[in-house]
Amino acid sequence: MTVTTDTHIPARAEPRRHRQIDDVHYLANRVMIYLLALTAVTVVGFPLFWMVISSFKPGSELYVSPPTFLPNEWTLNNYRDLFVQTNFPVYFMNSLFVAGTSTALSLVIGGIGAYSLSRFNFFGIGSFARVALICYMLPEVLIVLPLYIYVIQLGLADTLIALIIANTAFTLPLALWFMRSYYNAIPMSLEESAMVDGCTRLGAMLRVTVPLAVPGLVSVGVFSFNHAWNEFLFALVFTSSESKKVLPLGLATWIGQDNIYSWGMLLAGAVLITLPVMAFYLLVQKKLVVGLSEGGAKGE
Amino acid sequence: MSDARTVQPGDRTLAYLTLVPSAALLILLSAVPTVTVFATAMQDVGLGALSGPWVGFENFIWALNNGAFWTALWNTFVWVFGSVAVEMVLGLGIALLLHQSFAMRGIARAILLAPYLVPTIVAVLVWRYMFHDIVGILNFFLMDIGVIDRPLQWLSSTSWAMVSVIIVGVWKFFPFVVLALLGILQSIPQEQYEAAKIDGASAFQQFWRITLPYVMPVFILTALLRTIWTFHKFEIIYLLTGGGPLDATTTLPILVYQKGFVDFELGRAAAIAILTFVILAALIAVYFLLMRRAESKQ
Repeated sequence: MTVTTDTHIPARAEPRRHRQIDDVHYLANRVMIYLLALTAVTVVGFPLFWMVISSFKPGSELYVSPPTFLPNEWTLNNYRDLFVQTNFPVYFMNSLFVAGTSTALSLVIGGIGAYSLSRFNFFGIGSFARVALICYMLPEVLIVLPLYIYVIQLGLADTLIALIIANTAFTLPLALWFMRSYYNAIPMSLEESAMVDGCTRLGAMLRVTVPLAVPGLVSVGVFSFNHAWNEFLFALVFTSSESKKVLPLGLATWIGQDNIYSWGMLLAGAVLITLPVMAFYLLVQKKLVVGLSEGGAKGE
Repeated sequence: MSDARTVQPGDRTLAYLTLVPSAALLILLSAVPTVTVFATAMQDVGLGALSGPWVGFENFIWALNNGAFWTALWNTFVWVFGSVAVEMVLGLGIALLLHQSFAMRGIARAILLAPYLVPTIVAVLVWRYMFHDIVGILNFFLMDIGVIDRPLQWLSSTSWAMVSVIIVGVWKFFPFVVLALLGILQSIPQEQYEAAKIDGASAFQQFWRITLPYVMPVFILTALLRTIWTFHKFEIIYLLTGGGPLDATTTLPILVYQKGFVDFELGRAAAIAILTFVILAALIAVYFLLMRRAESKQ
């Protein structure tokens, strides 16, 4: 596979025959790229296309074999049933509350903590940053056992507070580590000039550095929210009653109960869970991609 | 004179005040639980109880002598290496593709990266529907083009369950590899290719001699990161198969969950969780080592 087709420049002074061969190569190359791209997009995109399409099919069409490709009859019944017949709205509000609160917590606490991790280097602050990274890598399945014991002992079983705290345990290290590298990239000289002009360190931090770090905070916010929105294991272990279920747990308990919850409802629910995540993504697309690729490169 | 680089009088107070909440939460939510899990693993915790008498390493010895542990370990390796190998190859291919310029690349890119953003429960629901024995589109499609002549039991046969779970895992997580590699591909200096072209290097030679060596450090780090994350993935397998049929897809995290919250034997669950963590810690140590080496090279 070639790597740079866009820099292809047909040589001007070459004999005619060479130019023709070059052109054929170029054309074959372009055709192959489009074929590969089309295949990849079709295969990867199909499940999502199928989810959206199927959520608009009436119940009878969801259970026919062979399946209909496009719905014979488009319907919003699945979505209506979701709100009328099920606890979906309750799950949705619970998820929003849990994800929103734990994101806010890790942004505020991690956002200011990371400033000190980035700017100061005394009293083992460097190793604190590394410990935060290790905390981020602790498997949930290891932490869930002791947290379950505390949750029972503190009487927090079947509460949303337990979920918020447990989620923060995973989103805070992420916020600390990511924001530290973000602050690292903001030049010290900006703060210095503010301090020369009479700002205190705290003033310089709040008026100069933190405003500059807003894009970073947005990225961390999206990641944290996404993590908490997705989180399943803690919800499964800590909560059980209908009024305390978050979306992933709520929908998971519907699987296999075809007589009550049809595939249409499940898929309509799946579409609605995806919407907030996609909306967030579109809002911060550029920033998010940069952050993600840096994360891949450096494990941050 | 104020100087941001030297320690100012108020700095220590500021540092402590800003770091105390983070430190407290990390200690309470990560450090203390880690100690607790070790303590729990050393106790004979009765059915449904939270603690019990000390028994030393008995739970660990029980786990290591238990066939279920070794089956789960084997399943974990199949799941991890199956997923990561396919993710890396596919991720590199798609990253190279998206690095080319072609019409509507932005749309292709958005669609190819979308599965990574989709919540796990959503991925599970849509794939379960597609895998369905009777109404699933996958069986219908494969029979239509003649690859299979009767419906496959994707999630409910012991021979196909692991393959199915890996398919969903790859679909969901390969975009991470694409993102990581796309970043590094874009940073390769163009002059290198131009020089190679003047020397008459073919496209394949350019890829083999310039692209691949340049990408390799990030490729290895990404593969290791994916290995670590895939190793302790729980929900995607739990929601697709619950570890079944029989124990065909029971990985270590699933086994921990079953022991702890289905059988309610917290001591034994903790022992398995720690054994899992030991393997993971070795991987994390390698990751840090490689990361430090990559950083010192730059």
